[in-house]
Amino acid sequence: MKTFDIIRRAGRSLGNAKVRTILTSLSIGVGAFTLTLAIAAGEGARQYANTLLTTNIDPQVLAIAKDPSFFQGGQTGPQEYDPNASLLQRAAGRTVVKQLTQADIDGIAARSDIESVSPSYTINAQYITRPGQKKYTADVTQYDAGVTQTVAGGALPALRTQIKDTEIALPEAYVNLLGFNSAADAIGKTVTIHLERNPSLTQEQIQTAVTQGAAALEQLAKPELKDAEYTIVAIVGKSATALSATSNVQVSDAQAKMLSEFSTIGTSSFQRYNIATASVKQGTDPATVKDALVKDKGYGVQTAKDLQGLLFTIVNVLQGIVFGFGILALITSVFGIINTQYISVLERTREIGLMKALGMRGRHVSRLFQFEAAWIGFLGGVIGSALAIGAGLLLNPWITSLLTLGDGNYLLIFQPIPIAILIIVLMIIAMIAGYLPARRAAKLDPIEALRTE
Amino acid sequence: MIEVRNVTKTYGKKSGAFVALDDVSFTIPDGASVAIVGKSGSGKSTLMHAMSGLDRPEKGEILVDGIDILKLKQKAVDTFRSQKIGFIFQAFFVQANETSFENVALPLEIGKYSASARKKRVLAALRVVGLSDKEKQKARNLSGGQKQRLAIARAIVNNPRIIFADEPTGNLDTATGATVEKLLFGLNKQGGSTLVIVTHDEELAAKCDIKIYIKDGKVEKIQKGKK
Repeated sequence: MKTFDIIRRAGRSLGNAKVRTILTSLSIGVGAFTLTLAIAAGEGARQYANTLLTTNIDPQVLAIAKDPSFFQGGQTGPQEYDPNASLLQRAAGRTVVKQLTQADIDGIAARSDIESVSPSYTINAQYITRPGQKKYTADVTQYDAGVTQTVAGGALPALRTQIKDTEIALPEAYVNLLGFNSAADAIGKTVTIHLERNPSLTQEQIQTAVTQGAAALEQLAKPELKDAEYTIVAIVGKSATALSATSNVQVSDAQAKMLSEFSTIGTSSFQRYNIATASVKQGTDPATVKDALVKDKGYGVQTAKDLQGLLFTIVNVLQGIVFGFGILALITSVFGIINTQYISVLERTREIGLMKALGMRGRHVSRLFQFEAAWIGFLGGVIGSALAIGAGLLLNPWITSLLTLGDGNYLLIFQPIPIAILIIVLMIIAMIAGYLPARRAAKLDPIEALRTE
Repeated sequence: MIEVRNVTKTYGKKSGAFVALDDVSFTIPDGASVAIVGKSGSGKSTLMHAMSGLDRPEKGEILVDGIDILKLKQKAVDTFRSQKIGFIFQAFFVQANETSFENVALPLEIGKYSASARKKRVLAALRVVGLSDKEKQKARNLSGGQKQRLAIARAIVNNPRIIFADEPTGNLDTATGATVEKLLFGLNKQGGSTLVIVTHDEELAAKCDIKIYIKDGKVEKIQKGKK
């Protein structure tokens, strides 16, 4: 018997038992429904993560650390002793993370494929305030020109452009704290950042001061103070597609360097940086620069794509969980198919006997029943994925508003090829499930099957 | 020509063994109409199964056109049945939920005929049995006589060398039974295929060229020529 004729005959047999066929298909349809949604959610989440990254992060940006273990949570086993590592780092009981020095930064900046590099400065600001207001603590960082930020008031320069040295960007929380009426009201006003530095004293200085008396000693121990004034250029707000709703007060790169060096001068942290961001020249693939830096210098480097990979890992894990439930539903439906097909073989003993008496080969009888199972898998897949698509299209706007994904972003994205693959896989699973009943049909003795009494 | 030589078929093991066929031998010439007559349990059905390659007796030879079908492999036996044998059963065994066309097309599908060749042959066979107008009807809507005529169309559609009919009129009333008999013997005379009827009905057997009487698995007597 020709395969095409067997497939046709299989479809016709199912058509003769419509209710049973549809019920069995529905059981596999539940699995198909769950799996389709899992695939769609995974795809949607990946696209969303991608949107987040591409709208927020300059793809040319590299994050560079001295030590590759920096990006791996520092867990690379014991490191060689480094007398230059700060006590604090060693005391933390963790692996010592080596830091970038100014020479490293200069070396990176000197590369022809790098446009600019800026280390991440540690700034120990005491407080932020403005005349007539209370003092508030503040985490001061340099303005990151490689990330888009949503502004609630004022304006920030375009991607890859720094703010001016006299300017400062504040998070929304400070609007009320510093006594502004609104975000718009704050723009153009002046704030002060206060820093203190304990003097690093030589033995000689202390001895001289001791001989000069208590007043001199007190004078000597007095911290050096610095008040830097900035004009508010923007209030940074929260956004659905902003990667990091920053709570940092941001100043320009040069100001950050100045403030950082003020408080670290004379200490082991002076011009030492955990991480630096470099901007690769347009037209150069960041990945090749990354490879060169890793190979030549042994730095740890992450590109924007690496960050994407990190986000995707999280998405994949979540998708895997939903997938697991779909697989469970499928396993259940496999037993449903086996059961249905066994009943079908019993019901159609005569038909099988007749076909075998007329010279149909056992293999072809077996194939007939396996194709029937495949049809059930196909129907289940189509029903399940169609329901999933329908439900997804209905629920998408609701999910978007519930998770505040932002307009135009959908969590469930249906693509034809993964769904087609899913249906084919379901057909194969159904065929495997139909194997035992099909074999029973193939082994049926036509004489027994055709006995009239 | 069909030659049956010393065929013995036993069911069951030693102590409970039951000899269904005991050293059966006879010869049937091409184109003959043959009745295998016997009571139920006499072994006549087993004989038909053996001659059609459905059953395999452990001893003897069954030569069809010079080939011993008992020595063929399963695949070759299936091909032999599909090409050379037509079956008609007492209970018709037509597929109730399929149309007349689909019922008759089954042997041709098994025989790997193309769709166009199938259509031609099925329509011809339906014409022969007078069911041309029922082509698209489901078999469940046919009367008993029509069902058996449909079964005859299915048996002749692939132009077999031998047609086995197991009590073909057993489930029919006298009038329709007569129509079916007429059809069977008419086809036998015109088509040149051998007709083997298994029956316990002496009246039907009397219409055949050769009558082989089976009793307790043995050939009791063979009568040639019509009364």
